[in-house]
Amino acid sequence: MSTNDIRIFRFDASSCNGCDIEILGILALGLPLDELGVKIVDAPQEANTLVITGGVNIKSEAELEETYELIEPPRRVIAIGSCAATMGIFKGSYSMIGPIDEIVPVDLYIMGCPPRPQTIVGALSDALGLNIEGMESLLETPEGFRGEPVVNSTKCIGCAACMHSCPAGAIEIDNIGADRIVKFTHKDCICCATCEEVCPSEAIELTYKDKLWFVDKEAAISEATVELKQCLLCGLPFTSSRQIDWAIKKIEEKLPISQEAHDQLLHNSSICTDCRKKSINGVKEAKKILVSLALRTQ
Amino acid sequence: MDDKLKNQKVIVYDPELCTGCRHCEIACAFKHYGSVDLSKSYLRILFNGDNGTGTFEAVNCQHCAEPICINVCPSEAMGKDAETGWVTVNSLKCIGCQMCVYMCPLAVPFFDEERKAAAKCDFCDGDPECVRHCATAALRVVSREDALKSNKRLYLSVG
Repeated sequence: MSTNDIRIFRFDASSCNGCDIEILGILALGLPLDELGVKIVDAPQEANTLVITGGVNIKSEAELEETYELIEPPRRVIAIGSCAATMGIFKGSYSMIGPIDEIVPVDLYIMGCPPRPQTIVGALSDALGLNIEGMESLLETPEGFRGEPVVNSTKCIGCAACMHSCPAGAIEIDNIGADRIVKFTHKDCICCATCEEVCPSEAIELTYKDKLWFVDKEAAISEATVELKQCLLCGLPFTSSRQIDWAIKKIEEKLPISQEAHDQLLHNSSICTDCRKKSINGVKEAKKILVSLALRTQ
Repeated sequence: MDDKLKNQKVIVYDPELCTGCRHCEIACAFKHYGSVDLSKSYLRILFNGDNGTGTFEAVNCQHCAEPICINVCPSEAMGKDAETGWVTVNSLKCIGCQMCVYMCPLAVPFFDEERKAAAKCDFCDGDPECVRHCATAALRVVSREDALKSNKRLYLSVG
């Protein structure tokens, strides 16, 4: 018999029920929950662990506060899924109040949209000391699994394609001083791998790792830093220098142009689009490049 | 240059005829976005404002024979129509890396924040709205051969 005493009360704050179905899926793993000392209880008074799915909305706010108060301390709160951590796909909805931690303190976040049952069990064993020795084979990560994304700082060209393609808005790009910081926040990530698919420089990899649970949701990030390129005319940074280098290299490979046109193109790409939109002479120079390129095909 | 490329329809601009009325920009933005927000126009008229000599220059897509935008596009979203030769962007394929925006010498494609994709001149299926609304015929649809002659005279000062 286990010495664990985990009495779980489940609370659905505004979940789409995806996470709830995954919690139900834990039963299918065949874990001897009774032997492990895990109990699902029907009343908050009997519980010591509050498991919450979904973000807080106007209907669940008061109820969540009340439920939390009914649980005797010491109590633990576990937020399951992206919505519980950041409101996920419901962000910006008129009915949403905020993520769980705005109402009650959260001890552990389990990420995913939804997280796998195995991830939830893994998180419980990690955080609550659930002893699952000898049952690890049940929790194995399947072939081709997409876990947390990791960005390779040496390969990233800072083009922001990942940020524009990310359906969950999990990727932030900030220009700070002379650097561009590409930040993958795991709290929002739904592991869909769109970023991996679109990345022109193959800098993003969705790892096999499914240890997607965090005590501090803000610290769960993967970052890359790239240098910014300054405009030749106004001196302001406009995009990452690696992006321009990548594009020039691609043109060299695919479009064999004359040295003169190449130099002009290089010069042109060092000027930000704002400056290029201002100068008539700049536009005339650019048209020269295009006319000479067109003459080549004659 | 093969015949198809020679006869490709392109928009040619004559700065001597342009009065800077910007009807082309309004027509373009209205046709593609239903708004008169000139920043949404696929072509721009630049004004020489510094010394007040009153010259204009259009920044419009040349629908190049060997487009730089297509060559830098990592997702094959940019394409040149095999029949008509028009260079267009498929916003569903576009990943928003903005390579074309930075590499096009004229910076013709721009990043559309709403679609999260590049946007550029699509030649309006052969009847460009900007040309239709150009009162002085500074913008015209001509064959690539004629356009090259005119552009050579204007920008390379030959012929």
